[in-house]
Amino acid sequence: MSLFIDDNLEQHSDGSVTCRHCSHLVGDAAAPMNAARVTETAPRTAGPSVREDAALFADRPIVFRRTFCPECLTLLQAEIVPGDEVSSRHRSLIVGA
Amino acid sequence: MPVIPVAGSEEFANLPTSPAETRRIVGTAVKLHEVGQSVIDALDPLTYEVIRHRLTSITEEMGEALKRMSGSVVVTDCNDFDAAIMDEVGDVVQVGLYNTELAASLDMAVSWTLRHRAARPGIAPGDMFLCNDPWVGGGLHQNDVSLFAPLFIDGELFAWTGAVAHQVDLGGVSPGSWSVAATDVFWESVPTPPVKIVENGEIRDDIEDMYLRRSRVPKLVALDLRAKIGANNVAHERLHALCEKYGAATVKAVMRRVLKDAETRLRAKLSELPDGSWTSVAHQDSARSGDRGIYKIVCTLTKTRDTLTFDFTGTDPQVDGLINCTYAGLRGGIMPVLLTTLCGDIPWAPGGLYRCVEIISEPGTINNCTFPSGIGKASVASAWATTNVVTECLAGLLDAHPEHRKRLMSVCCGTWDFALLAGVDQRGGGFVTMLCDSMAGGLGARTHSDGVDTGGLACIPMGRVADVEMNEFSFPMLYLWRREEADSGGPGRFRGGVGASSCFIPYDSPLGGVHLVVSAPGKALPLAGGLAGGLPAGTQHDVLLRSTSVHEDFAAGRIPALLSELGGEAEVIPSHHETDLGSADVYFTHWQGGGGYGDPLLREPGAVAADVIAHKVSVTGAHDVYGVVLASDGTVDQDATTSHRSALRLSRAGLDSDRQEVNA
Repeated sequence: MSLFIDDNLEQHSDGSVTCRHCSHLVGDAAAPMNAARVTETAPRTAGPSVREDAALFADRPIVFRRTFCPECLTLLQAEIVPGDEVSSRHRSLIVGA
Repeated sequence: MPVIPVAGSEEFANLPTSPAETRRIVGTAVKLHEVGQSVIDALDPLTYEVIRHRLTSITEEMGEALKRMSGSVVVTDCNDFDAAIMDEVGDVVQVGLYNTELAASLDMAVSWTLRHRAARPGIAPGDMFLCNDPWVGGGLHQNDVSLFAPLFIDGELFAWTGAVAHQVDLGGVSPGSWSVAATDVFWESVPTPPVKIVENGEIRDDIEDMYLRRSRVPKLVALDLRAKIGANNVAHERLHALCEKYGAATVKAVMRRVLKDAETRLRAKLSELPDGSWTSVAHQDSARSGDRGIYKIVCTLTKTRDTLTFDFTGTDPQVDGLINCTYAGLRGGIMPVLLTTLCGDIPWAPGGLYRCVEIISEPGTINNCTFPSGIGKASVASAWATTNVVTECLAGLLDAHPEHRKRLMSVCCGTWDFALLAGVDQRGGGFVTMLCDSMAGGLGARTHSDGVDTGGLACIPMGRVADVEMNEFSFPMLYLWRREEADSGGPGRFRGGVGASSCFIPYDSPLGGVHLVVSAPGKALPLAGGLAGGLPAGTQHDVLLRSTSVHEDFAAGRIPALLSELGGEAEVIPSHHETDLGSADVYFTHWQGGGGYGDPLLREPGAVAADVIAHKVSVTGAHDVYGVVLASDGTVDQDATTSHRSALRLSRAGLDSDRQEVNA
């Protein structure tokens, strides 16, 4: 029996996690997006919602970090965070939950 | 300078205490009312529901009483207050629908009062205790002044009622007690542990004088004190009547049952959700004026069977500045999210809900700071950031259930856009006020719908924004506009609700201008995250235009509608700032929307076109983020959109049309 983790991800009874849009394997229960594609670009590439250059306000580098399904390139996670900090956004569902 | 530990402050480092331990410490100093299990078991469903709903309506009456007596726009028009009914040891049986952050730790303050004041000076009928010490509880920063009152029935302490509201100024270096240069609490308003300010039904003049002497607007704060006394008096009248009608034992049995009902029903709901863990992070940029640091709160939510554990390990240490919050603030960051996302169909009885929650947090971190860390901004800094990170974690939990995922919401307006005005008003009197326009924040997107545009704040279900005319009547200011701002909602398959902006000038003050304090982070990075590929909401944006042509425009019959029409010299304002506004200076403040949900390229193109027509999304945003190409008449060019989305899908992932790395 599988479980939808969110809009994009599905966890299967064997612990594998696939993309709901293309069924491509993107990770496992412990790290559902460990096979996903991650890019980092400047915050203002997020669009006009980012009103000013982050360097006006902070010394640390700020990045727009996106995580994609490696096959269909659906955006799985997006965050604008300090670039010198690994992502703290994780989840792990108990297999068979 | 680093925070230096203060000997003796540990007495006020309060943590939740069990009812049994509170009873043990109180001993015989105060006779606490109790009810036997047999009375609780004998309650019939009809009586239970009638009394339960009466308790709910009493908290609403307390709110109405507070609003009618207060003279502060923050209270009367913006609902930045709350009220609660507690049992004899302080467990909150019913919290009002106003600012639930404020009432999330009233139990801690009441328990502390029982443990430290029962013997001396004593707790008796007609007493009320004032507290604005967030290390004790009752509020999140010093401006949150709580007033809680024991209710005695037949010589026994039967229950407590409490009212808490934001006071616009209680001293400190900067107006509004918002000392943006603060490095520790000694720059700020004095925290006051529980003091008996009402004794035997009379205000104690000596204590009130000590309380008001610190404020720049003592008459307004005095009026709010009486408003809170009135709220408690209204509650006591209603509770007395309820006990006379049904008997004190029956009313107390209902209170016990409400607490148990809230716990049981939340545990039942949690049992339906999958077990697992969800980790997220909330950032804040700048801890005080001149600071360019970025600070994080990390939370791992673990759900095991019917229990939630919030583990904040990994959170940054407390910092020199005003953004820290105490343990009460941490709880204040959790409870509002529990109430709104998990308890829509469960009694809002935090005393029962907390039984399903465990909190792991290290003292000395920014959302569990030790004395004398600066906490002047705690409620809308680290407590708010705690709300943000908890919102993301709980949303992840709910998202994994086909039915409960309908209740989740992305992060709302990432922080409070604090703009404070002070000076001399148009009537010649001194004034201080916090502008509450950002009560109209954008709500987060959901799994099946967009977030509500300028829909409010998740932690203040009944928060309101004062009318422009009310602000102009009350304070020496004139608005050029207050309006929703395109692109401020986080893009997504479902878009976050948009935030808004206000633009105004000082107006009609005998001094010509006003003093301005700004404390509004989210400028280096957005603070309302998205979910499941949804993007964060927009960043905070504040601009001060000096020496503009606004008066010449008015004289010529023009009302400027854009910053570019105002001339003058533009200053982009950092997160923390304090300055004066001259009569020709214009201040523009743009607060945040809600986070998005799902990949923006999966949004229905027609919905994007409708957003552009409604000025929720700009043409640039539609093209660059949503990949939607609009025809000259504003309709979707379907073929061009399909083609553009295909290209954008590759390019945003750093790939070219052959799926090769663009930079390879």
